[in-house]
Amino acid sequence: MIQINDEILNKYLDGELSREEAEQVKSALRNSEELQRKFNALEFINDKLYDIKEEEVSPDFTNDLMKRILKNRFVVPKQQKYFIVSIASFITLLCLVIFGFSISAMISSSPSSIGESSSVVNSITYMSDGIVKLVEKVFSGQGLSIVGSIFSIIIIISGYFFFEMQKRAKANLGNGQQL
Amino acid sequence: MRNLSDQEIIDSVRKGNDSDYSIIVDRYKNKAFSMLKRMLKNEFDAEEVLQDCFLKAFKSLSSFKGESKFSTWFYRIVYNTALTKLSSKKRMTETQMSSVEDHFNLESEYGSDEIEKEDVNQLIHDTISKLPERYSAIITMFYLNEMTIEEISEAMQLSVSNVKVMLHRSRNSMRDLILKSKLVEELR
Repeated sequence: MIQINDEILNKYLDGELSREEAEQVKSALRNSEELQRKFNALEFINDKLYDIKEEEVSPDFTNDLMKRILKNRFVVPKQQKYFIVSIASFITLLCLVIFGFSISAMISSSPSSIGESSSVVNSITYMSDGIVKLVEKVFSGQGLSIVGSIFSIIIIISGYFFFEMQKRAKANLGNGQQL
Repeated sequence: MRNLSDQEIIDSVRKGNDSDYSIIVDRYKNKAFSMLKRMLKNEFDAEEVLQDCFLKAFKSLSSFKGESKFSTWFYRIVYNTALTKLSSKKRMTETQMSSVEDHFNLESEYGSDEIEKEDVNQLIHDTISKLPERYSAIITMFYLNEMTIEEISEAMQLSVSNVKVMLHRSRNSMRDLILKSKLVEELR
């Protein structure tokens, strides 16, 4: 004989008891007015809970949300933005250093009389010749291998950071799944 | 389009039809909002958190493998986001600190006059909101969202027996409130 308590009444209500146990509960309910009253109240609550109404969100909810989703779709993630900016800044800085170095090299190797004896056209021609010579020097023989090495290092470092960023983004998505 | 299953809609969104996600939103927004409002006890917070939940789900859609129903997966996000919100507002009274054995007494929430005055539907509506967060979440998921005990246990990361105990405890406390009130006459 099972002891009829609240737990058993709940299980009886949910149809979780065996046939034998259910018969015992039925019989106990017939014999006890108090138990019957308790069960009726439980059944009543159960029925009423099935009738609870859902709450409604504001009418613009879906539109606002979809706008937010579409907006977020085209936004570059902050981390990615920092990465792009830092790489671009590094390349710009490198170009400026090379350019500055070229100018200073040309000025130091030019004759001191350039301002006095030649015309402006001559000095520009002289400077452009210098640039061409410098570029030729840089991109030939040993110079070319140095420039190539620098760019390779930049590409390898960029690739590493990019790979790390992708890994982190994937991990974040994984966390979302685990929620 | 409206009659498509969740999985079909998700497949469509994954193919790039972002606007189809609005069908999922319309399908779940009110049910999830009802759960959040009862857990957070605040309409404004509930709507804000709901937006975050849909955004999170959208961003994580690619990692949804379909091993469980979308609804179970989504309510898991809703439940956890609500807990995070409660935690951030330092209103975590029982959710993290106590086990399923925690105690609550709805009768102490009501004066006897108050019980007599209200009609039963309103009383039930109010009592769900007065239940601790986890209990109100279970009641909403079970009765309103029509989830099974197993789905609720998956969404809340609780054992099936714990979910049952909490469901029974919520029903018992509401029953005791009804038995104490004059509303019990409606039962006859």
